[in-house]
Amino acid sequence: MVRLFRVSKIYPPNYPALVDVHLQIDKGEFVFLSGPSGAGKTTLLKLLFRQEEATEGQIIVNGRNITRLNGAGVAGLRQELGLVFQEFRLLPSLTALENVALAAEVVGTPRRESRRKAFNLLRELGLKDKHDCKPPALSGGEQQRVAIARALVNDPILVLADEPTGNLDAEMAEETMRLLLRIHERGTTVLIATHDTGLLERFSYRVVYLQRGRLMGDSKQPCEEGSV
Amino acid sequence: MRLAPISFVSRRVLKSLKELLWTHVLTAGTMTMTLFIFGGFLLIQENLHGLLRGWGSQVQVFAYLESELSSEALDALIKRVRSYPEVESVGYVSKAEAWEKFRRSLGAQSGVLEGLKADILPASLEITLTASHRSRVAAEGLAQRLRAAQGIGEVEYPEEWVEKLGLLVLGIQWTKWVLGGFLFVATLLIVGSTVRLAFLAREDEIEIMQLVGAPARLIKAPFVIEGMVQGVVGASLALFGLWLVFLLLRERIPPSLAIFVPGDAVRFLDLRSAVVLLLLGLAMGTGGSLFALRKFLKRWGR
Repeated sequence: MVRLFRVSKIYPPNYPALVDVHLQIDKGEFVFLSGPSGAGKTTLLKLLFRQEEATEGQIIVNGRNITRLNGAGVAGLRQELGLVFQEFRLLPSLTALENVALAAEVVGTPRRESRRKAFNLLRELGLKDKHDCKPPALSGGEQQRVAIARALVNDPILVLADEPTGNLDAEMAEETMRLLLRIHERGTTVLIATHDTGLLERFSYRVVYLQRGRLMGDSKQPCEEGSV
Repeated sequence: MRLAPISFVSRRVLKSLKELLWTHVLTAGTMTMTLFIFGGFLLIQENLHGLLRGWGSQVQVFAYLESELSSEALDALIKRVRSYPEVESVGYVSKAEAWEKFRRSLGAQSGVLEGLKADILPASLEITLTASHRSRVAAEGLAQRLRAAQGIGEVEYPEEWVEKLGLLVLGIQWTKWVLGGFLFVATLLIVGSTVRLAFLAREDEIEIMQLVGAPARLIKAPFVIEGMVQGVVGASLALFGLWLVFLLLRERIPPSLAIFVPGDAVRFLDLRSAVVLLLLGLAMGTGGSLFALRKFLKRWGR
């Protein structure tokens, strides 16, 4: 599903955010990308959804080399991905339903169909009664669930989540993780960047460890949920 | 483009026009001013051109006769003038006819002639030149010969100031393009600023659209359409304004000028010029939007 070959990213003037990274993530895997702040986790995710371009190396996502995509190619790539961010990135002027439906509509889904899909997802994620609420009226956990619904509305093959529990309390973080696991159980590949070691202990999935831009460890272990 | 994106883009355009109404009004107003000034020059130029064409097609030489000319001498003079190779026809205008013509041309203001003798204007010969001699040189040559003839006092021909007016038209034409050029550049920058404001107002939304894979054309389309709407509205208002000013001024042509510029000879912009003005508005709106978008999307790496 995802292959990185000797990938480096150097920010100007000469700050190496990633150095010579080799990584392979198979279809249907659930992977934590871990490491301290500044390790290069977010940069790696940004390379995968092409917000940044690799300075060196090749990246393959779903069989396509994404290092040399044009604008249309980048749009096409992102339509296959689901993105979840720490700060939710919801539009405060739109309702939860509109936030989710927007993502479907911009890729060409008719409005009625987009709203129907958005409503079904929000219901599935326990936000049926809040679909008409705007983000400021929702709790952090609820906002993150809306963001997850938005990430799922176009049926992505790969979900990239950057510190999805970073802004949530322990209970909400737990709930968000369970949602991401449910997505994974449907067969979607999930890659989560987190520096929360507690999360890694509670959910025993593969952990890829980065430090100062280098891949320092990769525990490719069978998934056994820990002491939840 | 499929129907879903069209509906999406339409809703976004309407939303932006509603939310940033005054910004759009200001931009359309700037376009109106620019196109009004440009259109004004176009209007003046077209009318002067029309007048020149009219005058040019009937170049005449006016020979004013001395008062004490007998009818035999007059007949002989007319006969002689007719025999000149550059002369097509000769018309005689008596003192009474000249007076009547002048009185009529003053229209409602003809009262100012009260108390004046009806024979103060000289009789004249109105000489029309043949098509091959309708030039300043030919008119000048004929005028010299006429001045030397007995019984003729003064000789005038309009070709001299027709040429001067021709130069004026040329000047207006150049001023139109130079001034128009400056105004267009300024307007493009203003349209660009409006798009920038619209972009900043929707920056978060556009960023999210990009993150979820919206095609660039879907992101650009609403801004380009807004620019087009501004351009067409601006051009339409400019045309309407020009029409109002035209109607107002046409009614107020001073009688003294009416001799040279009759009211029915003054015309509004023809269809072609009106379409040119509309297309210019459209081009300014579209161009300004695309220019600003290129800069923004470049910044965002798309």
